[in-house]
Amino acid sequence: MYLECHNLNFTYPGNTTAVINNLSFSMKDPGFNALFGPSGVGKTSLAKMIANAKFRSDGDITTGNIDTILYSYNLERLPGWSSTGNHLDKVTAPEKQSLKEQLTGIFELNDVLGSRFSQLSMGQQNRINLIRYLLQEFDLLIMDESLANVDEKLRETIILAIKEVFSDKMFLYISHNLLEVSKFCSQILVFRKSSENKNSFVIEGQDCKKGYSLDKKQLDATMLEIMNAF
Amino acid sequence: MRKIMFMFLLFLWVFLSAVPSFARTTQLNYRLKWLFNTSVAGDIYADAKGFFNDVGLNVTVKEGSPEKNAINELELGHADFGVASADQVIRALDKGAKIVVIAQLFQVNPMQWIYRTDKPEIKTLQDLKGRNIGITFGGNDETIMNTIFAKAGIARQEVTITGVRFDFTPFFKKKVDVWPVYRNSQGVILKDKLAKAGEDVYFFNPSDFGVNFVANSVITSADMLKNNPDIVEKFLSALLNGWEAAMDPANEADVLKAVKQKDKEANDEIRQKQLNATRSLIKPSAAMKIGTIDLPAWTQTEQMMLKERQIKKPVNIGSCLIQIK
Amino acid sequence: MLFRRIYQFLIVYSVAIAFLWMIKMGLSLSDYVIPGFSLVVETAGQVFKEYFFDVINTLSVAVLGQALSIVLAFTVGISGRKSSWIGSFIKVTAYNIQAYPIVALAPIIFILLGDGFIPRLMIASMICYFPLLLSVLGIMATPVENIEHFYIVTGRMRWQLEVKIRAFENLSKLTTVISGSATLAMAGTIVGEFIAANAGIGYSIRIALYQSDLAKILVALFMIGIIISIYQGILETLGEQMKSKWSISNGGEVL
Repeated sequence: MYLECHNLNFTYPGNTTAVINNLSFSMKDPGFNALFGPSGVGKTSLAKMIANAKFRSDGDITTGNIDTILYSYNLERLPGWSSTGNHLDKVTAPEKQSLKEQLTGIFELNDVLGSRFSQLSMGQQNRINLIRYLLQEFDLLIMDESLANVDEKLRETIILAIKEVFSDKMFLYISHNLLEVSKFCSQILVFRKSSENKNSFVIEGQDCKKGYSLDKKQLDATMLEIMNAF
Repeated sequence: MRKIMFMFLLFLWVFLSAVPSFARTTQLNYRLKWLFNTSVAGDIYADAKGFFNDVGLNVTVKEGSPEKNAINELELGHADFGVASADQVIRALDKGAKIVVIAQLFQVNPMQWIYRTDKPEIKTLQDLKGRNIGITFGGNDETIMNTIFAKAGIARQEVTITGVRFDFTPFFKKKVDVWPVYRNSQGVILKDKLAKAGEDVYFFNPSDFGVNFVANSVITSADMLKNNPDIVEKFLSALLNGWEAAMDPANEADVLKAVKQKDKEANDEIRQKQLNATRSLIKPSAAMKIGTIDLPAWTQTEQMMLKERQIKKPVNIGSCLIQIK
Repeated sequence: MLFRRIYQFLIVYSVAIAFLWMIKMGLSLSDYVIPGFSLVVETAGQVFKEYFFDVINTLSVAVLGQALSIVLAFTVGISGRKSSWIGSFIKVTAYNIQAYPIVALAPIIFILLGDGFIPRLMIASMICYFPLLLSVLGIMATPVENIEHFYIVTGRMRWQLEVKIRAFENLSKLTTVISGSATLAMAGTIVGEFIAANAGIGYSIRIALYQSDLAKILVALFMIGIIISIYQGILETLGEQMKSKWSISNGGEVL
């Protein structure tokens, strides 16, 4: 399984400055990877281009053993005419029911399944949205700020669970959280402004798994490496 | 000093020029009942030929329409004289309007019914039985026809009544046999149209059977008569002279020319036929003076309206009819 | 909501009629031009029952016409929502026709189809169809990206789901336009009847006009106002109930 990008360029229509300038990187093997960088640098644009060929303009994105790519983001909503549990049931295949129950337990959403989407807090909304993507068939899931407004402890629980349950899948986690990304991600694409004329490149993260013991020195080194990349 | 004197004299000259002309002509508004057509030939002719100017009156003759009501305009001060039908006058008097009738234009009511000659002629009122008769609900024709039924002792179930409005399709399609028309306007057009299709028509005239419902008459406010009797007299004499001239066959070509300028509807041939029909209704005999008020007809009209509950109480119509010599 | 509509109308009507009476007093007009209070009350007593049934008659035509136009507008709006040539054609046609005073067609419709229920129904539905269609088209043609995205990327999107999502997200707009088209339908039906029908309150008003009976017209206007206020109030209440049943306002209870 691999995701590769060769000399990718992208400019928004009507703009003169390219958002993505000659980007090349490679990510191999299933794993929980990250796309890290400051706001407005083009992470979402890259994510959309990876997920959907029609957004690509110039350059090449190739994949191996990745048939289905899904892109999810934090502003998504579920329809409001019935409960979230109902909606979740409708999009869950029968063979994934037990997985659904497992995930709703881990994500601490069992109590809200009877409520409508608009009654949930933002954190709950993002979690329920993420669950429904996890219950679909995919090889690569791009999570664009999908755990925004979720507290740190629960985010850790969720990420570790995802890594355990979906160990054969690739994830691309878009986040601003340096510590989290350094701790849990395997490969981190550090994304920089195209105007800076510096290459984006992949850094190895700590890739902590369930039951991990944290090597603080290593973690600091990773974080420093990422910071130095800017 | 010279400059001031010159300005003063100039002003005086302008003023003196204006004052006599103001004293010579009085501005009046005269609201008709309906649109300009041959039915108001006399009103158009009086205006076109300067009958009003000759007596020192500057009269604006305004055509009527469904929304405009001469009686309302008299009360609101928008008109000085007007044309209204007898039912309008009597209804207004019943509601406390202070108006008077100074001339009756139509001696014979143009409101009649047209029917094809393929059905027997209506020679007695009993001949109406079994016919499909068109009536404009709420209109004069409804009042007239109800009076006819009452007079003839015809029960409602012995005839078929169909509510009609502006389009003649049910009559053309022979769904309705007896159709209400104004004899001297639509009546002429319909007769002509059917003649072209090889069909002939009769006209059912209620007044042939003693049912006289007065039609259009000239009105003014009681105040106008009281405060300006001389203007009323001048206006009426000019108007009736205009009508006499318009109804004179010798002036026919001239009258038709004047009407044509205002009447956007009919063609020349139709207009000429309409004028002939109008003449027979306005001045049925040479001896008849146009504008003569037919008191018995007015009284009968008032009685008909009282019976049909169109008015709550008698209005003593005789006291509001002013025959100006 | 219902009571608010009714008393709002009563206030407006009372103010208008008081204004008329002020003019009557000021200009010393007879009852023929502006009827006095006692004449209006007396006339009301005479025609109230007849006019009530006339208004109900007109309202039933208007309601049916509106229902028909809602069904038609949704059908055409849903079909025309894509930006295919037929969708664009429908949009352009609707924009142009909705500016045309449909009641001006009333005489032609009555001539061709005669008096009766069907031509009145046609006029009522045509009057409110085009504004409804435009709203439905606008709603159905505008994606709700945040909700539709999941279904599109997972291949679960169907046209029924798309319509349901877009209708639900714009429920407020839809109930407003439907409620507004009620007045349009009623006004249009009355005008159509006034011009050319032989039944309904518009027809009764025309007869009153023939007779220059302003008292009858004022009574008719009162009946129309009251009934339409009740009808609109009912529609708005139904709309609110539907909204509260199908959605809960944002910022609801946090669990």
